[in-house]
Amino acid sequence: MKKLLSLILALFAVATATAQQLPDVKVENAEGKIISARELVGKPLIICYWSITCKPCIQELMTILDQIEDWKAEADFEVVAVSVDDARLKATAKAKAKAFSNDFICLFDSNQDLKRAMNVSLTPQSFVVDSKGNIVYSHTGYTPGSEQELIDKVIAISKKK
Amino acid sequence: MKRLIFSVVALCSLLSASAQITLGEKGGVISGSIESNNIVYFNDKALSTPAPDTHFGSNDYIKVDYAIDRFSAGIQLETYLPALQGYEIGNYGKQFKVLTPMVYAQWQDKSYSVTVGNLYDQFGNGLIFRTFEDRQLGFNNTLLGVRATANIGNYVAVKALYGRPRLYTNYKSCWAGGADLSLSLGDMFGMKQGSLFIEGSYANRMDDQIGKATDNLLNMYSARLNMDIAGVTLRGEYAGKGIDKSNASNSSDKGKAIYGELGYSVGNFSFTAMGRVLDKMGTPLCATGNGTGNTLNYLPALTRQYTYMLANLNPYQVNVEGEVGGQADFYYSYRSKTNRYRYWNIHANYSTYYTLRKSQSKSGNRERLWQDINVDVERQWGKKLKTTLLYSFQEWNPYHGYHHRTYVSNIFVADVQYKFNRKTSMRVEAQYLLSGEYEGDWVAGLVEFNLAPKWSFFVSDMYNIGRTDRNGEYKGTKKNYYSVGGSYTIKRTRIQLSYGRNRAGFICSGGVCRYSPEYNGINIAVTSSF
Repeated sequence: MKKLLSLILALFAVATATAQQLPDVKVENAEGKIISARELVGKPLIICYWSITCKPCIQELMTILDQIEDWKAEADFEVVAVSVDDARLKATAKAKAKAFSNDFICLFDSNQDLKRAMNVSLTPQSFVVDSKGNIVYSHTGYTPGSEQELIDKVIAISKKK
Repeated sequence: MKRLIFSVVALCSLLSASAQITLGEKGGVISGSIESNNIVYFNDKALSTPAPDTHFGSNDYIKVDYAIDRFSAGIQLETYLPALQGYEIGNYGKQFKVLTPMVYAQWQDKSYSVTVGNLYDQFGNGLIFRTFEDRQLGFNNTLLGVRATANIGNYVAVKALYGRPRLYTNYKSCWAGGADLSLSLGDMFGMKQGSLFIEGSYANRMDDQIGKATDNLLNMYSARLNMDIAGVTLRGEYAGKGIDKSNASNSSDKGKAIYGELGYSVGNFSFTAMGRVLDKMGTPLCATGNGTGNTLNYLPALTRQYTYMLANLNPYQVNVEGEVGGQADFYYSYRSKTNRYRYWNIHANYSTYYTLRKSQSKSGNRERLWQDINVDVERQWGKKLKTTLLYSFQEWNPYHGYHHRTYVSNIFVADVQYKFNRKTSMRVEAQYLLSGEYEGDWVAGLVEFNLAPKWSFFVSDMYNIGRTDRNGEYKGTKKNYYSVGGSYTIKRTRIQLSYGRNRAGFICSGGVCRYSPEYNGINIAVTSSF
């Protein structure tokens, strides 16, 4: 066991920061169709995980909605709201998403396959993905104001192109 | 305490190097996550539950994934040093220093995939089969086995899996799995918008410990229709189950479940309603086994799940032996066209459940199990101020329908958030529960102060006032439950420290509720991903 832990520690010690790709995992879209998350790659993406019972997640998405018109004037990107609600709350999450926003791409990860593949153990968690599908930034938790880091990163990668 | 220090130091070592590893241009990528929940327990004379002998609990998870091209593999290690108090994994599994490796390897091509190892999957709504991990509950019923999936374009998708289910820290000696078929009629008939699917599943459980050969195999099936067209959603599922002779179920009847859902949305208005009948659908993983985590399918409570303390005091628990009911949700949002920072969000919800058969009640009638009528109105007044008001009328049956008796609660919540500037904000909750029954009245409050993006602090208190009923009998405990804490977040890593006295109650996630005893202690939680 100690050897195994040592191996893991050693791997971290030699780690070099780089971009993980958006995984090729199937999720349901707002129309009920099954798509691959990789199909969204093209524009920079802000991916926000949320659920009906995650108050700060919804707070983050509503705050992004407040500012999305201003943000889109600065960069061309999409916001992807990934609900991790399971069979209990999926229908409620869909109804809420439809009423509150037409400005997001809504995905429903009811068996949490995408969440597991992106190693999200706590919501809210948000990612910025560049136009090639590389995950270039991630943030866990939400406090009002921290959404600014997401758009700052999107603007930064948009300028690099 | 030494264990706590060891846990935190080990985690910090990992977090300090929390970056992803790339093994050269074509060497693949290693990623993963870490989660550690630790509580130091104190004896508290005001509580009826003493602190555990160890005065310490720690549930820890490390997951590491490797991906290259279409191949991926991973391992998850879990330690319980020992399990946190109230987690069934500590009661039914090995109690101390458990280490459970979970592994998988997967090849995913465009039209097929093969996975070997630990599997998480579900058929339809999970009425007959679902394997999942819920760390909040300490449940993990993953299958250790093989899964294959295939699809023909967008028209046909099929998957099959089989393996040995996990119950707490052990893999059971029985087998479980099945197959699922999904046909996209929408794609077959060239529908340009929306979707139309017909689907079917078969699942079984094979356990030769039951005895009679005919009882060893439990068969289950489901048929489904899913449609989303022009703002209308229609979903239906019928599930059937053979006679279950496992120890936990030991039924002499077949089981069935019916689920229906109707939704409609136009503009910023949406409505959804769902109904469900459950009849002897509780399905244990194997012939033997204990605990609420011993389940092969997923039968969630279709009720509103709240984020406010007092609204969640007495959550509905599903009656898998027999219940009928449903819920409806209504959402409306209005955002000012001239100032996007000003909006109204309105939500109303209604849910009600009854016993399915008269024989379930001593009274010989079908009894009400649950009712909740609630509405919340959220108003953002501008860039700085947001207010939310919530009212909920809850009626619940403490005897799960056996006796004709329900308790009624009226819950009022006011939630105010104020942003001082771009990075500094405060949120205050005030809650009151009014009830002439059970424990009488409660009052609760929370103050949260945030310094974005890294710091957040909170203090909360929940106090039972009690009430004297019409007969002059006092109902209540006068107990005070308090909590104070803070969190620090940097990118993908979050550390939370809190101290408090926590109320006993059911912690529910999905359809499963775990009883958590009251405790007094310090909680340190660390999560990170890389």
